[in-house]
Amino acid sequence: MARRPDEEYDYLFKVVLIGDSGVGKSNLLSRFTRNEFCLESKSTIGVEFATRTLQVEGRTVKAQIWDTAGQERYRAITSAYYRGALGALLVYDVTKPTTFENVSRWLKELRDHADSNIVIMLIGNKTDLKHLRAVATEDAQNYAEKEGLSFIETSALEATNVEKAFQTILGEIYRIISKKSLSSEEPAPANIKEGKTIVVGGSEANTKKPCCSSS
Amino acid sequence: MEKKRIDDYEPGPVPSPRPLDRFGFVKQELNNSPDGLTKGRPAYEYEREERRVRKWRKMIGVGGSDWKHYVRRKPHVVKRRIRKGIPDCLRGLVWQLISGSRDLLLMNPGVYEQLVIYETSASELDIIRDISRTFPSHVFFQQRHGPGQRSLYNVLKAYSVFDRDVGYVQGMGFLAGLLLLYMSEEDAFWLLVALLKGAVHAPMEGLYLVGLPLVQQYLFQFDHLMREHLPKVGEHFSQEMINPSMYASQWFITVFSYSFPFHLALRIWDVFLNEGVKIVFKVGLALLKYCADDLTKLPFEKLIHALRNFPEDAMDPDTLLPMAYSIKVSKRLEELKQEYEDKNGKPVQSAEFNEKQKL
Repeated sequence: MARRPDEEYDYLFKVVLIGDSGVGKSNLLSRFTRNEFCLESKSTIGVEFATRTLQVEGRTVKAQIWDTAGQERYRAITSAYYRGALGALLVYDVTKPTTFENVSRWLKELRDHADSNIVIMLIGNKTDLKHLRAVATEDAQNYAEKEGLSFIETSALEATNVEKAFQTILGEIYRIISKKSLSSEEPAPANIKEGKTIVVGGSEANTKKPCCSSS
Repeated sequence: MEKKRIDDYEPGPVPSPRPLDRFGFVKQELNNSPDGLTKGRPAYEYEREERRVRKWRKMIGVGGSDWKHYVRRKPHVVKRRIRKGIPDCLRGLVWQLISGSRDLLLMNPGVYEQLVIYETSASELDIIRDISRTFPSHVFFQQRHGPGQRSLYNVLKAYSVFDRDVGYVQGMGFLAGLLLLYMSEEDAFWLLVALLKGAVHAPMEGLYLVGLPLVQQYLFQFDHLMREHLPKVGEHFSQEMINPSMYASQWFITVFSYSFPFHLALRIWDVFLNEGVKIVFKVGLALLKYCADDLTKLPFEKLIHALRNFPEDAMDPDTLLPMAYSIKVSKRLEELKQEYEDKNGKPVQSAEFNEKQKL
């Protein structure tokens, strides 16, 4: 099927959003893809999906992001979506220590079900709740270094660092992919589509929009 | 001082002037057109509705006293009338009658109170976390710690104690929430028990047990049915690598109560409680069938979007449901279940309710 110009991209990167229930995965996704934050959001049942095309290191990259239900029992369905993912955003809530303690379980989950070279970024979300903070930045930073993950703190509500978080992980994926295709004679992985390089204008959403329209 | 505040004219429990629809949901801006408030149903529809309610009242008897007798005498009339929609004012009562929950309630006096007051559940924190994320746009559930949220918490906690194998799983809140809009906490609890343990139809607990075995089975069955009934759609979905877990898990886990228009969800629930889960398959197939021409033109991403945002005309119950009723699935569902079990082994079910189970 012919792709319309606004759908052209150099790379397609599949990324999964994981982490405990209620840490703000769905709102990180809606902030990144639609610049929306929903105070009245429903818990995610199963998987949700959204995309955004943006410039990464001068290339047009389409980020295909799978948002998963956080409750442990849903891993029976959601873990199938780790397959083929080049990146994982592992989210915890800076106001809820248990969600940070569970990060190691999520890492194990990724090791069991995802590709071994998946790029993982640890995200401490909800920094807007300053008075409720219960996980120190330093602790998370140290943990991330020990496990070899990149790390950032975000607020989906205030739109702080959300753009940067996605840019960083997509940049890391890009560097690994481009290094691979240079050093290896093998063709690039199947989930990367080569296309014409075109500049996609206006993909950055700058104005904050109010609540989403879910019922 | 406090007294005076109550006497003053204050708008309801929710400090929100936002207009509500007839079910109590905050109206979306989209529907909030100038004629939105006046554009109700015409007078003759109200009259028709009144005649319908009178017919239903006669069929049910006082407090449901004539129901069982009527069902035995004229099962086809009952089925036909339920398919046309149960009058909203009688819905709560009829749901309890057709689901078998009324009998469970009568057989277990005091049990609900015991579960709510004296027992503790390992799922309490999980439940609390989701309370404000269940029907967040409904006026009954909006107020923090208000009666709606408290009832929802109590029902879910009671269930998580009653059935510790299931406990609490996300999605159950939408079932409980929907029921609580039509009946008391205790009634809603026993209806939840009737559904999950299979008082009348096949038990639903497998949707929520570890491994979500029944979700996997239903998705397997739906995938096959879809390919048989709508081969072109099936072929296109294969090409675009779309599988039912991407769009239909919610349909089964919450019986269409998660994201579908409420008036449609209610009509589906009327039939679901009377006829069982096969209506979920039928409605799912009808939706795909109605939109087949559009769906087969769309690439992957737009498809995913379309499968979560069906057009308004597709979700009109009076169009969609007759279409769903015309799709026959019972025989194939049974065969596909067998096929699935041969491949994956038979799931373990609780013995107590199994004897009652009709297939």
